[in-house]
Amino acid sequence: MHGGFELWLFAVALGTSMLGGLLGMASGIFIVPILTMFGRIDLHTAIGASLISVIACSCAGAAPFLKNGLTNIRLAILLETATTLGALCGVFLAGFIPTRYLFLIFALVLLLSAQQMVARRKELPRASDRDIGYSAERMPLGMTLMYGAGLISALLGIGSGVLKIPAMDTALRLPIKVSSATSNFMIGVTAAASAGAYFARGDILTPVAAPIALGSVLGAVVGARILMKLHSDKLRMMFVCILMILSAQMMLAAFGINLIGQTP
Amino acid sequence: MKTHITSPHRLEPALGALLYYGTIVASAVIALGLALAVGLDAAGMRVAAFGLVLFILLPVVRVGAMLIFFLRAGEYRFGAIAALVMSIILLSFFLGAR
Repeated sequence: MHGGFELWLFAVALGTSMLGGLLGMASGIFIVPILTMFGRIDLHTAIGASLISVIACSCAGAAPFLKNGLTNIRLAILLETATTLGALCGVFLAGFIPTRYLFLIFALVLLLSAQQMVARRKELPRASDRDIGYSAERMPLGMTLMYGAGLISALLGIGSGVLKIPAMDTALRLPIKVSSATSNFMIGVTAAASAGAYFARGDILTPVAAPIALGSVLGAVVGARILMKLHSDKLRMMFVCILMILSAQMMLAAFGINLIGQTP
Repeated sequence: MKTHITSPHRLEPALGALLYYGTIVASAVIALGLALAVGLDAAGMRVAAFGLVLFILLPVVRVGAMLIFFLRAGEYRFGAIAALVMSIILLSFFLGAR
């Protein structure tokens, strides 16, 4: 072990988890493209390490939401039946889908995330008082989207906020703070369901995943602290651009072209 | 189907503490392993790998804690849901191992 590469992995996880925390998304969507393109790391190894990062971010950030009563644990466990089932299917599929198609799916998910960030989230009209108890309507649509989120999470090693957020905001009509907290709570279990399988298969390499885990914990904690003091409009637009660039890169990778990260 | 959310807020702080302290323990084990790996490569990496396993198990332990809580509180419907989530996770582990 020489340390330089481990430090780089730590820094990548720290940065992406911090920014992920600022934007209310998991770090995986940034980690996988960066590891494969700049680190020249094999896609499956990158996905395995990213799943660890998703678990770390979810666990490290959960406590304050739970203490404030923002996390809806009963709804979470109900939706987790769908996300873990999706993860189970994703683990199974991941063994069959050729790498270039995984790159392509990843590129599309990045584009979708960029689009979602431009559109922003709106509070839909609903009973405003939380204490009366809001009800989660349209459960079948919500469960279907959650199943898809679990599937994509296991296939690409991401938290799948891109599917969970519309599921919770639009289909289930939850208040934004509740759906963010509940989604953060759920991504850990969803990622764990597939991470266990990846670990058993030997796709989670300790020298890569261990520095990533530490960076993610630190990043998630720091990100949550900064979140309170930041006007995020400019940040959002910057990230829309980054997501588009990463998407283009993943698209090129799907066709076997790598423009950056020429040196291993 | 309508799910009403009127949480009694008893389990939430406990789950928060479980995840908080679990994160600290798993991170400490990984950090220790990486530090050891600088000197004695293989053994240190095994310690770090154990830390990664702790991280993967942490959310699963959280589901287990919810399962026990719901059963004790007599909320059998949610107990059954937690049991279902637990079995899907374990099934995924075993299918992945093959």
